[in-house]
Amino acid sequence: MHDRFIRQLMRGTLPFLVWGAHFTFCYLLAAVQCTPAAMRDGGPDRLLLGIATALALIVCAWLLWRERGMLRGAQEASLLDWAAGLSALLALIGILWTGMPLLMVQGCA
Amino acid sequence: MKHDASLPLPNSLPRPEGEFERLKEVWRTPTGWRFFKSVNNTSIGLLYIGTALLFFILAGILALVMRVQLAVPDNTLVSPGTYNQIFTMHGTVMMFLFAIPIVEAIAVYLLPNMLGARDLPFPRLSAYAFYAYAFGGLAFFCTIFFGLSPDGGWFMYPPYTSEQYSPGLNADFWLLGIGFIEISAIAGAIELIVGILFTRAPGMTLRRMPVYAWAMLVVAIMIVFAFPAVIAGTALLELERAFDWPYFLVERGGDPILWQHLFWFFGHPEVYIIFLPAAGMVSTMIPTIAGTKLVGRRAIIVALVGVGFFSFGLWAHHMFTSGLGVLEMSFISAASMAVAIPTGIQVFAWIATLWNGRVKMSSPALFLLGFMFIFVLGGLTGVMVAVIPFDWQVHDTYFIVAHLHYVLIGGMVFPVFAALYYWLPLVKGQALSEKVGRWVFWMMFGGFNLAFFPMHITGLQGMPRRVYTYDAQLGWDFLNMLSTVGSFIFAFGVLVFIVDAVRTLRRPEKEVGNPWNAPTLEWLPSESYGNRSIPRITSDDPLWEQPGLSEQVERGQHYLPGTATGMRETIATSPVSATPRYLMVLPTDSWLPLIAALGTAGFFLLLTVKAMLLAWICGIVAVLGTVFWLWESDRTPPVDEVRVADDLVLPVNATGPASQSWWGTMITLIVDACIFTAFCYAYVHASMRLMVCPPPGAALPELPWLLGAGGLLLASSGLMLLAGRSLGKRRLPWLVLLALACSTASFLLDLRGHQFAGLDPTASAWAAGIGGVLAYQGLHVAILTIAGVYLALRHWRGHLGPRSQATLSNVSLIWHYTTLQGIAGIVLVNVLPLLMEA
Repeated sequence: MHDRFIRQLMRGTLPFLVWGAHFTFCYLLAAVQCTPAAMRDGGPDRLLLGIATALALIVCAWLLWRERGMLRGAQEASLLDWAAGLSALLALIGILWTGMPLLMVQGCA
Repeated sequence: MKHDASLPLPNSLPRPEGEFERLKEVWRTPTGWRFFKSVNNTSIGLLYIGTALLFFILAGILALVMRVQLAVPDNTLVSPGTYNQIFTMHGTVMMFLFAIPIVEAIAVYLLPNMLGARDLPFPRLSAYAFYAYAFGGLAFFCTIFFGLSPDGGWFMYPPYTSEQYSPGLNADFWLLGIGFIEISAIAGAIELIVGILFTRAPGMTLRRMPVYAWAMLVVAIMIVFAFPAVIAGTALLELERAFDWPYFLVERGGDPILWQHLFWFFGHPEVYIIFLPAAGMVSTMIPTIAGTKLVGRRAIIVALVGVGFFSFGLWAHHMFTSGLGVLEMSFISAASMAVAIPTGIQVFAWIATLWNGRVKMSSPALFLLGFMFIFVLGGLTGVMVAVIPFDWQVHDTYFIVAHLHYVLIGGMVFPVFAALYYWLPLVKGQALSEKVGRWVFWMMFGGFNLAFFPMHITGLQGMPRRVYTYDAQLGWDFLNMLSTVGSFIFAFGVLVFIVDAVRTLRRPEKEVGNPWNAPTLEWLPSESYGNRSIPRITSDDPLWEQPGLSEQVERGQHYLPGTATGMRETIATSPVSATPRYLMVLPTDSWLPLIAALGTAGFFLLLTVKAMLLAWICGIVAVLGTVFWLWESDRTPPVDEVRVADDLVLPVNATGPASQSWWGTMITLIVDACIFTAFCYAYVHASMRLMVCPPPGAALPELPWLLGAGGLLLASSGLMLLAGRSLGKRRLPWLVLLALACSTASFLLDLRGHQFAGLDPTASAWAAGIGGVLAYQGLHVAILTIAGVYLALRHWRGHLGPRSQATLSNVSLIWHYTTLQGIAGIVLVNVLPLLMEA
């Protein structure tokens, strides 16, 4: 592909994809473990969900750390640097916030 | 390629004699009744915008009828049944026939000029999408005059809409009518994605691309992933109604919640599909109005992408009262709040831009300020209803009606009116009256708030939405009367706008110029051919930062100042750096898209009223219209290379992944895969509700049937790979036909295996789930039959060659996709029960 479009697209949106993967995994696991076919005693497995959340947070924190140079020179940074940095920050906040219910909510109903 | 303002201009003067005249002749728009065969984005865009506004007025009239009915308690103006039809049609027409179409319509009209392209990459597809929508939409609307309109609410929840509780044709009109109109929205999205990524003016890198184009790119991608869910949902509900396949019937293992998931997986992103184009327009208009660069441009672009992602995690906040698990709801609630962050980034950036510049209080500026006020209020109530206990209290009350109208009218209608004031001068050079504009704004703004703010209170007082009347003793009458008065003031504002718009458009044409001193390319001198020459872009705000650009473009000093091949064409550029890659030859005007659209609309609507013979005649007309339209495309170009600038020669057309048609096909297949995923989800959802899978009395096919079906699919793809290497050889069509035989045999084997296992899709939702997956594969085999025979015919007629092989590569893509889909279906259907057993 001309001018590394896919590669650049991935760099700019990877944190959002991590957010999406984390959200999908958490929602599906919680939903499946509350269905008649795969009902789990005590409700969804919060330990597994917590591990997934911690992993997603680590990945996004690392992606943000990798782009720290952009935060120092934000005025001169390219759109792609901005996309990589800001999306990592937004995804980090998103995962942190979406993961909060794990600390407070348990069971299916 | 370097893009520097100090470089000499791409083409030197003087231009050859007759060059400009030939360009005009090739792009000439037909006049009189032949205008309707025109496929140019300017013609189609204007028709599209006009039709969408017509639906806005029609659905608005329905709203006024509802408001009159609710103005006083115990009113008997409208019967309960008619009221049900009216509110269903109001919501459906506003969402499906006004909101989505108008954002696509404005993009079809504006984007090519804003990007410096001569047209969108698939002009006939735009024309088809428009006519399918217009014919289908108008016929659908007419059902209200015959008492045949759907009456289950705009989100058509079963069991209200199941055969048992909605036995007439009303629900079918919604399912078939809206289902296919969504296909036209997807066609528009494909057009926009390929257009934005591959036809930008040389030098317009992704960084320099207008924020509006970014917004439309995000929106078009969202359409690709969101709309398939509702298309699959409508197909499932129609299968249930027509053939008694019980996807949503609890007594046979179905689940009405399945519909809610599918509908809202489309329905919530759709709110942002409507809002983001408006946000893009706002980001384009605000710098002009403030006379300064957009603050936080890069942050806004990232925020747009972020909203696009987050919006897919919010669907179930419409389902907080449907009995979902508490943890699932909490995830959705948190995501619903998180989306406020990227949205907030945009709002603060707009405020900062206005703060930074000198705002001229014109009509567009007023509408933009009105938008911010109303939308922020709607956003705040949105965060309120994202809080689950609060939502439980106000769910299905007028509080929600108030919230959704603050979001949709504030977030979309006000920016669209700002856009109409701002961009209408592009049509004939005439601007709408500023004086009248102020009246229109204050009537719409005041009327809106008077109509909808009291609904927050009536909602909190407990008034449920969709009730056709209420008791006088409930104390809701004064607030309802206020809402009715407000709605009429709002409507009067719209009426004054229409009168002013008609008056303005009847004035004689004059030079457009750049009346707002805007920085974006749509204000370059343009006609049906776009700009005389395609500009070289070296800055974010070209009309501000590239002095003399208008004159240079008009004199033909930039790229492609005429027609290089004697046909319609534009320059295809690379997606990131916008480096010229090839000359894209575009199709010309034709009646075929219109005929195909008429056939498609006729097929779906006549199918609804069970006029089977006529429906199938229309279906054949649609297929033949499309086949003839495609038959004219993908021909060997008259020359291999052309000069588009003094020092730039480009090849004519491209093949494989470099061509626009390859990308168009790939995006279509992504849509296809998403629809298939939704069908698979229906099967998984039904399975997860079982204690034993397969359910008692049901079974799955024996292994040999599955291996046979899978093996034949792989063989068919192998034969197509071989066919791809046989270009110009006599064996090519025979390989394709053999591959077709393998695909068909595979499907029949799979079907036969299930028949032997006793599959009865009417017996349970689980069996219906398998039926759905099988039926979707069958549909693909039917498509391959048409595509395979078509490919063979093209070979025999000599229309396949090294410079005209798009048909071959696109048919191959569809073929391999069908193989993958078939194998995925077989694996899912047969492995899931094993996993559940384990």
